[in-house]
Amino acid sequence: MYHILLTSRYLTSRIIPLLAIAAVALCVALVIVVVSVMTGFLDMVRDSGRTLMGDVVISYPVNGIPWYEDLIKEIEALPDAEAAAPMVETIGVLRMPYPRGSAKEPKMVQIWGVDGERLAKVTTYEDTLMWSKIPEQAKPYVELDRIYQPVIESFDRAQRIAVLRASAWENTDGMSDAQIADLAGAITDPEWIEHVRYVLINSPEIFRDGLAPEQIELMQVALAAEEDMPPLQDQVLGEGVTLSRNGQAGIVAGIHVSDANRRDSEGEYQIGGGGHWWLPRYEGALTTIPVDATGGTLEPETEILPFVNEFSSGVYAVDEIRVMIPLEVAQRMMHLDQAEIVDEMDPTKVVGIEPARATMILVKGKDGISEIDLRSSVEKAYDSFLDSVSTAHPNGPIPPIPGINPSLQILTWEQQNAGFIGPVEKERALMRTLFSIVYVVCAALVLAIFWAIVYEKTRDIGILRSIGASRPGIVWIFLLYGLVVGVIGAVFGLGLGWLITVNVNGIHDVLAEPPAWLGWGLASVTTLTLIWTIIKLFTGRILPVVLGIMGTGILGLFTALVFILDAQGGVVIWDPAVYYFSEVPNTIDLPEALITMAGAVIFSLIGAAIPAARAADVDPVKALRYE
Amino acid sequence: MNDVQGPILEAVDLHKTYRMGAVNVPVLRGSSISVSSGEWVAILGSSGSGKSTLLHLLGGLDTPDPGQGDIRFDGRPIANLRRGDRNRYRNQDVGFVFQFYHLLPELTVLENTLLPGLVGSRIRADRDRARQLLGSFGLDHRLNHRPRELSGGERQRVAIARALLNRPKILLADEPTGNLDQETGQEILDLLKKEHESGLTILMVTHDRQIADLADRTVILNRGQVE
Repeated sequence: MYHILLTSRYLTSRIIPLLAIAAVALCVALVIVVVSVMTGFLDMVRDSGRTLMGDVVISYPVNGIPWYEDLIKEIEALPDAEAAAPMVETIGVLRMPYPRGSAKEPKMVQIWGVDGERLAKVTTYEDTLMWSKIPEQAKPYVELDRIYQPVIESFDRAQRIAVLRASAWENTDGMSDAQIADLAGAITDPEWIEHVRYVLINSPEIFRDGLAPEQIELMQVALAAEEDMPPLQDQVLGEGVTLSRNGQAGIVAGIHVSDANRRDSEGEYQIGGGGHWWLPRYEGALTTIPVDATGGTLEPETEILPFVNEFSSGVYAVDEIRVMIPLEVAQRMMHLDQAEIVDEMDPTKVVGIEPARATMILVKGKDGISEIDLRSSVEKAYDSFLDSVSTAHPNGPIPPIPGINPSLQILTWEQQNAGFIGPVEKERALMRTLFSIVYVVCAALVLAIFWAIVYEKTRDIGILRSIGASRPGIVWIFLLYGLVVGVIGAVFGLGLGWLITVNVNGIHDVLAEPPAWLGWGLASVTTLTLIWTIIKLFTGRILPVVLGIMGTGILGLFTALVFILDAQGGVVIWDPAVYYFSEVPNTIDLPEALITMAGAVIFSLIGAAIPAARAADVDPVKALRYE
Repeated sequence: MNDVQGPILEAVDLHKTYRMGAVNVPVLRGSSISVSSGEWVAILGSSGSGKSTLLHLLGGLDTPDPGQGDIRFDGRPIANLRRGDRNRYRNQDVGFVFQFYHLLPELTVLENTLLPGLVGSRIRADRDRARQLLGSFGLDHRLNHRPRELSGGERQRVAIARALLNRPKILLADEPTGNLDQETGQEILDLLKKEHESGLTILMVTHDRQIADLADRTVILNRGQVE
């Protein structure tokens, strides 16, 4: 009974235990914040990994699976499966529209040939599309494109050469007409418009000769339109899902494929050249190397396709390399499309059909079906597909067989992305282990503080022993004390950790851009502390002066830090350009937080146990001997 | 005075040696003492005569050198009690009063007085007894004060109330007035006298012959031996 009374009195009437509680709370808050942010990060990585993958993936790279539509029918008949989508995956080189001039930058890309509408049923592809309408920055350029398109389309070869010779941007001196014509073919349409506009405004005389009346009219319309530009409608770009524009196949590129796109510290995308390099204004030339049935390579295939949209999966590693094109285009480029097999002697005689192939089938499970269960269902569906395919297509090629064709794989999205998710999981485990050292710090702090308390309370222990308190009773006082300190500290730690985690983006913003009130507020508090210290200087006591000097120093340091940060434009720790995600994850990982709290309580008890044992060993006679 | 009955506390041939570094310092060398129920006995001795040590041994705070001597309380040997029994002996059978009061600074007057009851795990009945004791010592208005707000005399009265809470058969007082001025000391002695008159057995240690004279009987301790 007296334990509770003494513990509560020791707790409320002294400052030292408050220090212990604060120490425990800080330790707990630290671990909770770190683990919560790491868990949030991992969840985001997992979610985005799944975003573009579906739940289960059947893959047979390069050669592809023939009769894949039969397989998809088999899979979609499964009670576990929601939908399945075919895909051709390959690598290629994409000729980017930048920089200005004829020497464009090539980029290595991963090509996904997909049926956008079917992909959207299996993944969240549709939600990742970047542009639902033309961004404000790009609007003037899109407008110019529209106005000048008829003009440049009306130019013939000689007129194009004249325009390039007249515009000062390309070094055309000494080039032959043929060379200039090549150059003209190499630059992008939007660049053409810039040349035409330049010439039109600076040396219109070169158009005077040899222009047809309707061309002159077109140019007058264009110039007039530019002076009084009609407002552009917020045109909705529904072109990402169909992967086409006006019926023509197009490219949807990852947001970081184009080097012109930069994410600023706010997480917003800034388009290069103030909107000039908005990718959907341009076309890209995509080149792949098809592979024949023997595994040898064939002549490269090139397709010039307009960029119709961009996507952002949230995973930098994907967004910097992946481009989507329509499935038929990819199949054609990789020679995986349907073909007729002709007689070797008589090429006009068709002897069979070589079916179209897909290198991947993405499968989405019904809600509540685990990937593991879905995977075994899909494996069974694949087996029955193999059984039925020989009767359905007796003369056709045989699909890859599990075990015999080792590159055929049926994996869950997690297995497929293991190389990507794994390191983040390891990172979290590492962080958790490293920060578990905090527990030891916690125990050491409680030990040190309780040691001091026991020392201070030696006489009280002697008194208690003299009136009959047992040694276990004395131990229990300090253990209970440690328990209470641990529990209160853990609860405050949870509160503090929650507060920091939930507001982590706000805190980050303050660090990135310290508001003016913070600097001046700190400066005035520092000044007040300094004045207080100077006043205390005359009282003749040393402790207030020492505290005052330390307080002034620390506050002054913070003030200076804030002003330095401000002058340097702040620190961005979680740079969205680096961390793939524009926001720091800010949800508390509650199970982990509870484990952390329990750990803090246990280690507080461990820290308290040693001083408690010492207290029990206090010799009452010695403790009572002196005042 | 009181009806003096058989000995309540009896010690025969007590030895106690302390070890200080490499040297053994004998403090008690064959001391014997007997206190009868209802008696007020004073142990008179100079500083270092071993009188506090004798009191600690009798109160079960310390144990005599093994193999020699014996302490009996109510005929029961207590020198070699098991730990639990020793705690119960301190809690129930004896009450201690110290020169420096030894109150717990965080607890109120009432809580300090109640402490032996709380240690003995009996709360309800004790609360009334504590109030009654403090009331009879003139501390009604001080129940919720902290020891630091009290005068020395008041503190010692609280300490006596605490010692008496569990109705011990004997009160062991170690220089109870040693830290008080003459007048306040006299108040405490009057209080002890009053308690003695209503039946309390007291064993008091002092170095002051005048104070010792208040007791029924005085035992002189010199260099660890009763003279």
